[in-house]
Amino acid sequence: MVADLRRCVGCQTCTAACKHANATPPGVQWRRVLDMEVGEFPSVKRVFVPVGCMHCEDPPCMHVCPSTATRKRADGIVTIDYDLCIGCAYCAVACPYQARYKTDVAQFAYGAPMPNEEIGNDEKRLGVATKCTFCADRIDSGLAKGLKPGKDPDATPACVNSCIAQALHFGDADDPGSNISELLAENQFFRMHEELGTKPGFYYLWDRK
Amino acid sequence: MSRPTTFGPRPWIQQHWDARAAANFMLGGSGAGLLAAAPLAGGAPLLQALGLALIALGLGAVWLEIGRKLRAAHVFFNPWTSWMSREALAAVLTFVLGLLSVFSSERSLTVAAALSALLFLWCQARILHASKGIPAWRAPQVVPLVMLTGLAEGAGIALLFGDVAALVGLFGLALLARAFAWSRYRTALRLPCAAALEPSGRALMQLGTVLPVALLLFSTLAPEALWLAGLLAAVTGWRLKFALVTRASHNQGFSLPHLPIR
Amino acid sequence: MKVKTYCYQCVAGPDLLEVEVENGVATQVTPNFDAATIHPGGGKVCVKAYGLVQKLYNPNRVRTPMKRTNPRKGRDEDPLFVPISWDEALDTIARKLIEIRGKGLLDASGYPRVAASFGGGGTPQSYMGTFPAFLGAWGPIDMGFGSGQGVKCTHSEHLYGEFWHRAFTVSPDTPLCEYVISCGANTEASGGVVGVWRHADARIRGMKRVQVEPHLSITGACSAEWVPIKPKTDPAFLYALIHVMLHEEPRQRLDVDFLLNHTSSPYLVGPNGFYLRDLSTKKPLLAEAIEKTCHVKAVEIGPDEEVLAEGELQGVTAFTKLLEHMKPYTPEWAEKICDVPAATIRRIAREYLDHAHIGETIVIDGKTLPFRPVAVALGKTVNNGWGGFECCWARTMLAALAGALEVPGGTLGTTVRLNKPLSERHASVKPGADGFMAYPLNPTDKEHWKPEPNIRNAYRTLVPLAANGPWSQALGPTHFSWMFLGETPPGLPRVTYPELWFVYRTNPAISFWDTTQVAERMAQFPFVVALAYTRDETNHFADILLPDQMDLESLQLIYVGGSKYIEQFWKHEGYALRQPVVRPATEARDFTDIATELAARTGLLERYNASINRGAAGVPLKGLDWSFVLEEDRRYTRDQIWDAVCRAASAELTDGEETHGLDWWKQNGLRVKPFPQSDWYLFPTLAAQGLRFELPYQEQLLRVGRQLERRLHEHGMQWWDKQLAEYQALPAWKEFPRLWEEELARAGGKAGDFPFWLLTSRSMQYAWGGNVGMQIIREVASNVAGHGGVIINAQKAAELGIAEGDSVEIATPRRQVRARAVLRQGIRPDTLLLIAQFDHWATPFAKDFGVPSLNRLVPMSMDLTDATGSGADVVRVSIKKTQK
Repeated sequence: MVADLRRCVGCQTCTAACKHANATPPGVQWRRVLDMEVGEFPSVKRVFVPVGCMHCEDPPCMHVCPSTATRKRADGIVTIDYDLCIGCAYCAVACPYQARYKTDVAQFAYGAPMPNEEIGNDEKRLGVATKCTFCADRIDSGLAKGLKPGKDPDATPACVNSCIAQALHFGDADDPGSNISELLAENQFFRMHEELGTKPGFYYLWDRK
Repeated sequence: MSRPTTFGPRPWIQQHWDARAAANFMLGGSGAGLLAAAPLAGGAPLLQALGLALIALGLGAVWLEIGRKLRAAHVFFNPWTSWMSREALAAVLTFVLGLLSVFSSERSLTVAAALSALLFLWCQARILHASKGIPAWRAPQVVPLVMLTGLAEGAGIALLFGDVAALVGLFGLALLARAFAWSRYRTALRLPCAAALEPSGRALMQLGTVLPVALLLFSTLAPEALWLAGLLAAVTGWRLKFALVTRASHNQGFSLPHLPIR
Repeated sequence: MKVKTYCYQCVAGPDLLEVEVENGVATQVTPNFDAATIHPGGGKVCVKAYGLVQKLYNPNRVRTPMKRTNPRKGRDEDPLFVPISWDEALDTIARKLIEIRGKGLLDASGYPRVAASFGGGGTPQSYMGTFPAFLGAWGPIDMGFGSGQGVKCTHSEHLYGEFWHRAFTVSPDTPLCEYVISCGANTEASGGVVGVWRHADARIRGMKRVQVEPHLSITGACSAEWVPIKPKTDPAFLYALIHVMLHEEPRQRLDVDFLLNHTSSPYLVGPNGFYLRDLSTKKPLLAEAIEKTCHVKAVEIGPDEEVLAEGELQGVTAFTKLLEHMKPYTPEWAEKICDVPAATIRRIAREYLDHAHIGETIVIDGKTLPFRPVAVALGKTVNNGWGGFECCWARTMLAALAGALEVPGGTLGTTVRLNKPLSERHASVKPGADGFMAYPLNPTDKEHWKPEPNIRNAYRTLVPLAANGPWSQALGPTHFSWMFLGETPPGLPRVTYPELWFVYRTNPAISFWDTTQVAERMAQFPFVVALAYTRDETNHFADILLPDQMDLESLQLIYVGGSKYIEQFWKHEGYALRQPVVRPATEARDFTDIATELAARTGLLERYNASINRGAAGVPLKGLDWSFVLEEDRRYTRDQIWDAVCRAASAELTDGEETHGLDWWKQNGLRVKPFPQSDWYLFPTLAAQGLRFELPYQEQLLRVGRQLERRLHEHGMQWWDKQLAEYQALPAWKEFPRLWEEELARAGGKAGDFPFWLLTSRSMQYAWGGNVGMQIIREVASNVAGHGGVIINAQKAAELGIAEGDSVEIATPRRQVRARAVLRQGIRPDTLLLIAQFDHWATPFAKDFGVPSLNRLVPMSMDLTDATGSGADVVRVSIKKTQK
């Protein structure tokens, strides 16, 4: 995934769209956008930074997971098997991006579940680690229909679909012809906490080349 | 209505592991230290039994923290990379050897149980070290610190049950080594979160090192001084680990090496 | 299953969306990608729309009609609402209406006995179905009880913008613009999906935006540069820019051709400040150059047609007058006032001209048009209250100097609301007497000016620029309706309480200025009918609550596209349908059905149906060769009415070829036809008619002001004199910040004791507040700094011993509120910021936020009301840490 920091306005549409698409309970934000200030008045910059699971190439969460619930798919997406996870939260403290959540008791917006929350409520997700899946189910079903992730909405993560600034992009960084590869070729980028060696799959664009 | 959760970007204290997780490091560490000290204390089965009990209590506390208690056995599934799996396996081994030793009084079993307990202690320290999200934990210096404090606590508690010279020696050495490990860790850390460790660190040095050493010297006059020394060493170690897990466990927040050009 | 509909909860809509429905339950909102090539924001949906699912299922909804059983009204009085049947509710209202009708539509003071308030900048109209037809059938209604108009809108821009260039709202031509000076325009928070989309593209293309504002807003964050200006000093900054361009840059850096041929620059101004006119035709006389002084045979005519001078008179061109006028406003002068370095002002002025591309053209839709990719944008607080006129003038002037007004790349108006026809900006361009566009000013001449207002806020009597169209009532001094209930100033008929007040999608008890006073007045209203979603601070004073079906339950067809509101420039126009995505979960009824029932029960059915036939539902039902008119004496269902409207809309879009009904629209959601991009630009239409922009010199405003002054004085009304001073042909700088210090003194305070400027700023997540009870909105908005308290400069806070999260008291001499401190670097040390407008005390969920609002602190004051009838959303305050 690519987030163009020049475009992002911190509107939280992706945050909300993710909550809809993944029916996450109150307080759980698999995708969210930080509102950061750098510098001091009057020389201060304010930057909006989308964060979430970085789907690292070398994910510390996976290495520490005692139950093998956290795994990495061939396409690089880091997943959690809710049936294996014991909810020890070791992954959550191992993740340098604060991307993981654990909800022990079902939470609803106004106490009792509303009809949409009854549908979205998944007992399997209680007491286990959860995080952004890059909407893997959506990608898989899209691919099965011959759609291209990052191009066709039905094969693209909800946050990317929702982004009103075209700040979020999704695609195959290993495919030199993909939208992602083009953006990375044309722009300067960094990855969050690169020094930790986790090799995140989430790139931040900050200037043209 | 509770305020909604706020997320970063500044570092904040992790909310995932609380006192229950800390208890594993406190009790499990001391328990492992006890088992490790047992051969020097003449292999007292009482000490070993106490050590095993402490480890069991610590693991029990963690069990209370996990979200899916009935699946606890899944903890053994990933010994290839997870120090938590390894810690669990080391715990099983320690229990097997420790219990055999308690009931057989076989010297070799006592030593084996002690080695296994050290292995457990090492795994425990590595658990923290592998937590990349928490700068205060991932520092490599955390490994000797956690191991040595476990040893010092265990030896200290053992002193309550007898003052074999070798044990006193181990205790003294562990105290000094722990103080050294703490000062190395503290120097290496240099993080804002380190401030959260300062009170317990100071206590570890003053009440947990200087005072016990003084008491050791004094113990030739009053043997009871040893008990106090041992207790102080254990309590200050626990306090430090409690702070490490629940107070100094800030994540690193988020930072930008480049600002967007707009 | 996916159902197509729209969200129009704020003026930056509508957003076209789809709702995912599983087993009859709405589960998620998604963009309508089928509209991606039609909607100028890629068919994407704003964050607010993601609150709609919770809005639907919110357990705090009013689920049945209710009636008040506690006759005493007050903030501390529990209304003791009890559920009643729809029949009882509608009959109660109808009885009241019939009783009023029996007494006469106007009361003894001449004011309508029935009043209605709708908030949200006209967006409730996209939800109220055929209620406008009921209002039309009823007759005179006072729609001038404000709920935010004048303080929460860009009021001066609405009035002067329409006056100068048919610009109710103004926007840069973002897709082509290269350089934008934005004085507080918070486009990234208030411009909706389209604003965000277009500006993000523009940034990547290389457009530079300089954001001039006291706190670093969302838009400031996304800009190339932030200039932290002192609050309410923007005119000084803008004047200095003009000064640099006029007096420090070579003349050829300006678009002299544009000034000469398309503005009032060459008009000759006589010794008394009025245009010199031809002796026989009375047409203004023009020089052949913009800078000229000459002697001509002419007549100078004063406000009431009196001859001020005649014969050989000295005339000075308007541009020469401008040069003299702007001479003192140097960057050094401005620096002292607005705390922006003179060098920065000079640099920005020069960068603006550097990007102006004077003399270049661009081809759009086959038409060759001037290309001037520079623009100036103004924010809300810059744009209303005192100083708003000066800012609007300076902004439009800056565009004119570069020839960048209403041309590609430049400063554009987006829509008209005061000029007619409302649907078409270009059609509203008609020649006026002096070579400029005609403007429908309320008459101020002796013969036609009326001392008796038609409604309580007296817009026709006091504000000529407010015109007299359907929107004008809400664009007058709408706070006067509330203020004058307390004391009506001399010369106006005693302002009375309306006997029945309809309230819909608005909450003046928290959203207006001086909300405590507004709520106290509201408690005196004898009979209030509130269309109610949940309990709230305004319907707390209601007598009847009617639950109308909310966004995802109700049905309505609305016009979309064209150019409308801020950044909404489409290349299509047409209609979109809002439709029920699920079966209603409560006893709420569609507003159309409520309107029909009210019409039938009050004996107005025939007039109501006739009103719908004429187009009150958005589309006239009879066209050139099609007719879907309703029989006037029949009571139709919602779907029958909208089926007819849908058919008429289809026919209108296809010149009668298609007559698709409701079923087709439910499937497709949207039908459009092309809207040419060249129609975004008004300049060619003026040029074709030989009309000019009345800039830099506005004789018309001067004349109107003098006339109004005479009329008011003739009727013993001296209390509007301060406002009359605003009518200047060339606006001068006034010490605007001091006005707020004087207000402090009137309230018994000293400026030094209240050293902070408290401002407010739009929240994209919350705009309009109709979604304030949504947990998801609260949750995601919390990621944006400031939603939890008052933003204060971190260094200043340290000086005051205030730490992050501390409880603080913000006070004026009269009122105080509590907040938690939010420490930030991106705000001036003399400024505090309270985002959005909370301070709820009755709305479920929101009442527990503990976040105050500036609205409670801003005094409602004649002295802080400008000539357009607006006030600025600022107030001087103190702040101190409180003990818990």
